[in-house]
Parts: sequence; C-alpha cells; structure tokens
Amino acid sequence: MKKVLILFVILSLLLTGCWDKREINELAFVQGIGMDIDKDKMCNITVQVLKPANLATSSGGGGGGAAAGKPYEVYSSRGVDFAKAFSNFNTELSRTLFLQHNEIIFIGENLARSGIYSMLDFITRNPEFRRTSYLVVVSGGTLDDLMKLSKSVEKYPYREILGMIQNQKNTSSAYVCDINHFVETLETEKVQPIVGRLEIVKKDGKPQHARFVGAAAFKYDKMVGLLTEQETKGIMWMDNLIKNTSLVIDKGPKGDKTHISFAIIKANSTITPKVSGEDVSFDVKINFDSNMIEQNSRYNLTDLKMIKGLEDLQQEKVKSEVLDALNAVQKKYKVDSVGFGRKLQEKYPKVWEKLKDRWDDIYPNVKVNVSVKATLKRSGLTSKPIEPR
Amino acid sequence: MDRTYLVENYKEMDLYDDIDKNIDVLKTLLDKSSDVIFREFRIGEKKVKGFLVCVDGLVDKALINNNIMEPITLESRKLDGNYLSKKNVYESLLNYFITTADLKEVEKFGDVVESILSGDTPVFVDGVDKSIVISTRGWEQRSVAESTTEAVVRGPKEAFVETLRVNTSMLRRRIKNPNFVIESLKIGKYTKTDVAVAYIKDVAKDEVVEEVKKRLSKIDIDGIIDSGYLEEMIEDNPFSPFPQIEHSERPDKIAAELLEGRVAIISDGSPEVLVVPTIFVQFFQSSEDYYERYYISTLFRVLRLAAMLMSLTLPSIYVAAVTYHQEMIPSPLAISIAAQREGVPFTTLMEAFLMEFFFEILREAGIRLPMQVGQAVSIVGALVIGQAAVQAGLVSAATVIVVALTGIASFSIPAFNIAITFRLLRFAMLLVGGTLGFFGIIMALMMILAHLASLESFGVPYLSPIAPSNTRELNDVFIRIPWWAKIFRPHKVAGRNVKRQNYTRS
Repeated sequence: MKKVLILFVILSLLLTGCWDKREINELAFVQGIGMDIDKDKMCNITVQVLKPANLATSSGGGGGGAAAGKPYEVYSSRGVDFAKAFSNFNTELSRTLFLQHNEIIFIGENLARSGIYSMLDFITRNPEFRRTSYLVVVSGGTLDDLMKLSKSVEKYPYREILGMIQNQKNTSSAYVCDINHFVETLETEKVQPIVGRLEIVKKDGKPQHARFVGAAAFKYDKMVGLLTEQETKGIMWMDNLIKNTSLVIDKGPKGDKTHISFAIIKANSTITPKVSGEDVSFDVKINFDSNMIEQNSRYNLTDLKMIKGLEDLQQEKVKSEVLDALNAVQKKYKVDSVGFGRKLQEKYPKVWEKLKDRWDDIYPNVKVNVSVKATLKRSGLTSKPIEPR
Repeated sequence: MDRTYLVENYKEMDLYDDIDKNIDVLKTLLDKSSDVIFREFRIGEKKVKGFLVCVDGLVDKALINNNIMEPITLESRKLDGNYLSKKNVYESLLNYFITTADLKEVEKFGDVVESILSGDTPVFVDGVDKSIVISTRGWEQRSVAESTTEAVVRGPKEAFVETLRVNTSMLRRRIKNPNFVIESLKIGKYTKTDVAVAYIKDVAKDEVVEEVKKRLSKIDIDGIIDSGYLEEMIEDNPFSPFPQIEHSERPDKIAAELLEGRVAIISDGSPEVLVVPTIFVQFFQSSEDYYERYYISTLFRVLRLAAMLMSLTLPSIYVAAVTYHQEMIPSPLAISIAAQREGVPFTTLMEAFLMEFFFEILREAGIRLPMQVGQAVSIVGALVIGQAAVQAGLVSAATVIVVALTGIASFSIPAFNIAITFRLLRFAMLLVGGTLGFFGIIMALMMILAHLASLESFGVPYLSPIAPSNTRELNDVFIRIPWWAKIFRPHKVAGRNVKRQNYTRS
C-alpha cells in the first residue's frame, strides 16, 4: 500500500510532463494586434509578427548579415467572429502565434463604433492576452496602414507606438487606458470608459506616422465620438490624472499677445457633489503648481503682482480646457466619462439610489462649478529676464 | 621457527631472554624486506651481545649513528667491566648510554614489530626479555607550503602537510593551552595509520568527543590512505550528496573551529583535517572572512550565497523560461534569445545539458592534465564552449553565457566539496526544469531543502542556525559581525561553554 502511494506521488509529479513545451524559436511573437470589423460584419484581425532573426543580430553576432530586411511581417485574417479569425491564422503561418509579449490592442474605428463587446470577451477569455495591454482606438486610417508605417525611430511600428504611449504617461497629453481599466469602468454603474486614440497622419494618401493624441469617448462598449487633445486634457484634469505636463498661455497679464510656457509639477483635483432637494450639482476644484519654462516677453518675475497675474492666466486657461471637456462629454456626447455619478454614489448613496435610473437624463443638465487654483513656484534659473543694453 | 605460526601469533608473544631467539623471530618476520636493517654489535668489555632493527628510509640515520650506535659501541668500551657487567648492561643502556629523549620499554613482539614499521628502533640486549624502543622517526617529508586549494589574500599562508606530527605542531603552536588535547589511535589493519582526535577540553562538547571516538573505534578496515576514508566512514547520512564533515588544509581555520568547540580529526598521510560537527553555512565561510573588514566580508559572503544559488539553478531557470515561460522574459530579451536560437538544431534542454556536460569534461581535464598541455586544452576548451560553437550554429550565445556564468559562479564557493555537490544537483535541476518547468524547479528545490533540513552532523542540525532558527547566531551566517561584538560561540556546537570574550569595547 505504501509503495503504491509513493509510486502514485512520483507519477503525479512526473506525468505533469513536458506536454506544453515549446521552443522559443518556434513562436511567432505578436507585437501589435489590431481588430476591426468590415462592411459584411466579418471580423478582421491584423497582427504584426516579428522576424527575430532579422531583428536582433544587428551588432554582427550572427555572422554579419547586413541587409537583413525589415524585421516584421503583417498578417491579416477574417472570420465570422474573432476566435474564428484568430484560428484562421494557422492556415497561413508557419509558427504558433504567441501573444504574451503583446502590450497594445488596436481597435479599428468601425469596430469601436459598432461595439467592442465581442472583442473584449475574446480577449479576456483567452489566457494568452495580457490584461494590462493598452487599448487604443485607431482613427484616420486602417489597421493595415498602421502596421506598415514607414517613419520610425524604433525597428518596427509597434515599438514606436508603445514608446508613444509610455512617453505620454510622462507628459499627460493623451488618455492611457488598459484592458483592466476599461473593464472596470464598464462594470461601474453609469460611468463610461474613454480610450486613448491613435491618429494616423497621411501625406499624399500614404500613411506617414501616427500621433497618440486625444481620446475616444465610449458609451458602454460603443464609441460615440472622438475627443481632441484639449478636451482629453480637460477630462484628465478633473479625473486627477495629470501628473506632469506643460501649459501654454497665449496672452500676457497686460492683455498683450505673447506665449508663456509652464511645466505642471504637481496637480490635484477634487470633485464634490452637492445635493439640495432634487437638485444635484458638482464642485470641481483643481489645484496645481507650476514652474515657468519659457517666456517671450521679458516680464520681471521678481514682481509679485506679475506672478499673481500669471497665475490668474493659468487658472483661466485650465478652466477653459475643463469647460471644453465638459461641453464635449456632457452636452455633445452625453456620457459620464469623468465619473460624476460615482462621486455622487460615494457621498450620497441614498440620493443616488433614487436618481440612478434617471441619471442618463439628469446628467447632461447637471451644473458643474469649476474653480482652479494655480501656484507659480519657480521661474527657472533666471528671475529677471535677460536685458540687452 | 615456523613462519606461518609466527605470523599468526607474534602479536601476543613475549620477547625471549635469549637474544638469538629474538633475532630469529624478527628475521623470520621481516627478512624478506630489503629495507629492513639488522645490526648486531657487542657492548662493553664483556662483549655482551646487542642488536637493533630499523627500516631504512623511515628512520633518522644520523640520530641512530650518533645517539645510539656511537655511545653503545665506542663509549661503553671506555668503562671498566664493573660498571658494565653482564647483569647491568640493559639498565645502563636505558639510563646512561642512549642519548635520545623519547624511548620506551616493550615486552611483546607485536609492539616491537609495529614500532619498527613506524620508524622506531628497538634495541635488544642478550639475557633481557625486554626491548628499548627508541623514537627515531625521521623520514623525508614535504615542507610546509602555501595552501593551494584554499588560497587567501590576507591571512596565514601555511598549509597542513602529510605528516601528522607536523600538523599537530601547527595546531599546538596556535593553541597554547593544556586543555587542548590531542588523542591518538591507530586505524587500519595493514596501514596502522595514526589518527589524532584534537579538541579543547573545556570548550568542546563531551558527547561529541565521545561520539567521534566511538565512531572512529568502530572502523575496522584494512587501510586508511586519506582522511576522505574516515569522512565517509563516520558521517551521519552516508547516502546524502551533501558533505556533512568539513575538511580544510588551513591550520588557522582548524584552530578557529577548535575554538568554536568543534573536534578535529587528523589523519597521518593526509593534509586535509576533518572537523565535526559541521553545519551547512560553514562551507560558505572563508577563513579570510574573519581577517578582512567585516563590511567587506559580509558583502562577499552574500555574494557567495548568491553564487551558490546561481550555480544550482541558473541553467534550469534559463531552460524552463525559454521552453515554458516565455512570457516571463522581458520582451526585448525574449526576442533576442529567439533570434539566437534561430537555426540551432537542438532543443534548449539538450543544448544546455550538452554544454554543461562539456564544461564539466573540460574542468575535469583541466585538473588532470599535465602542466605542459594546459594551454592547448584551454584554447580548445574556449572553442568548444565559446564563440566558435555559436558561429557554427551548434549552440546559441545565450546558452553559452548561462553555462559560463554558472561555471564561474560554482568556482566562487570556497569549499570545493560542496561546490561539486551543487554541480551534481545542477544536472538533476536541469532535467527537472526542462521537463516540468518552474513547477519542477520549485519542487526540486523544496525537496533539496527538506533533505538539508533532515540532515544532522554529530547531533547538530545541518541547517542551524537558520533552521532550527537561532536569531542570535544568525550574525555569522549572512553577515559577519565585527570581532568585538562576537561574544558567543555557536550554541549548538559549543554547548555549555559559549562565552568567547568579555565585552570590553567601551
């Protein structure tokens, strides 16, 4: 009996075996997967697959193959649903698609407008997808255009875009959303997700490069419209997502036309819901600190009045950005992208219970009071401007 | 006399008072050997018959010539017969004539023969059934040289040699205290090897000393050539791949461990002295750690532990990551590895296994080969596990890096015997990692850990003071605290007498 038990233990260890073994050089590394839907409601998947042999050996390690060719290949596949389209790749690829190094999922505009639910289901069900992958809506071109961009610092377009996304995190000028965040927002009551947007810039009808700028507003899983860079920033101000960005004002304290740039070093916003009877309103308070990084018109910053004037202008500018954003999401698209409803629910759950069924009608007309407080911290290395004499 | 009878019974036979009979017996026992010298002589005016036997090469001939033969044959003639009557010849030899310090009387043939073969010289006098055994050992021996296997930058350089007495003298020179005891015994039916058990009486645990002596006395083997024999015969778990007895050829290290309460076993003919009880972390402590500044020692000790883990697991982790868990590798590295493996004919497991195998062959050859061909072998070796193999497309560059790193890491462990244990286990880990992935590696590591935790060396748990944990003693495991703070000896080892110093640093 004891021997049988020992044998069983040993076997159960060994029989886990090497069935799932796959050599790294037999994989097709997917770096960038795009999903779209065409006129016939057929699902399209486009993948950028790396050719490692052409990629890594640039420093001569593998015997100096100089003219290696481009290090990636783009494949497309169609199917009645995404799973079918995905399995159709097997008919034209020599290697297994390997998705675990993929960090960006591109969503075609058509798919985004018709609803990405089926795509989300496919992605979250398949263990090979990373839940931390960034979601990006592609506007101004097809996925195929995107995958074959010609202008690139990196070795292949995917890297370029990944770099953009990570770079924007540092300057806060576009909305970064990953699958986890999207699903979480989708499952929160009455809050609508927004997704970063990639704009393809064309020249003479040929795609040249991409810009990661602005965002796409979603109502549930359907895209309802695109947001500009200004509007996106406004949302991020309210959503407390601004970490590090620049702010340009285009008039001086004396009303003259000039350009002054500031670097935001610290920003903080609070949204406070206010309830009086049936009437709901929100106070948005934004505080931020900034450093001056450039001015054209020789203002003397040792003058405290001047600083106060510049601060006022900054406040005005940010307030206009926020109001722009509110105009777009509240009035134009009627989606609660910032999560006002959630704030109300957190602070006045009972009021929310009463209002939540009518929230879609109430929200577009809710009053939002925006107040901004700017602090100019430092003027850089010079306080008095350079005076040519 | 009948030779077979003698060979069977000489040990218990008493010496005869008839010198011719004694000569007869010894000649029958030893005559076939050309290196045995029989010398007959006459003592004094009365010309009493005398006789000595010694083994050429084992004895110090100058000592025999000047301190035995000269007084007996020349000086004794100068005395008149009354002083040296037939009756008191033996007593006079014992008391006046033989001018060496170390001698003893024996009465059995067994003792006589044994002393002859150990390099001592018995002197017989006609009419006495006793023999004077004079210590004349003086064979050629290697001079004390620098340690080759345990080199240090700072610290004493001398190392033990093959001669027991020289070794004990090196220890005695370091520990000048009457409580430092060196007990000896002889092991081996044919070799009669001198084995000494050394300990400091009021520091070492009595139980351990008794246990060592008990285990040694149980050994009944035809011969002990090296202390490695003893190590295997007395260790607690003979089936474990881990060495449970530390050995060292550095007298400073052994002395330090004696001061911690350990017991040393010195075997004649072997420059490696064994120390018990041994704990796992001892193998990662170099004697230099205690001579160099403690910050630096701590850094290197941590480094060595990291090297130990690397030498055990690096190839298996690499293989498992590349064949099962590609998602765990950072993307650029994964792509780079994939590119390198493009066109390599073997699976990663096979590749890593072969490279490890070749590396071990090279290492083994490097130890055995004659000095003159060393250069040729190292060039060929560099080709076999180097750039050439990569360019030929036999292996990928990443594998070469991993194998080379592993090899180097295993050399940074100060104790060779545990380094080779890890080498052995590395192959098992490699197979497990290549078939079961990280799951297998974790399983194997847990099994090794469980095994280590189950080991014991002379009553001290192998993993102490980590498990069972003793936080106070952890100060000499991963870190090395300064000497002025090191007040206690290891508790598990030293037992009752644990205080090492009185804290005097203000």
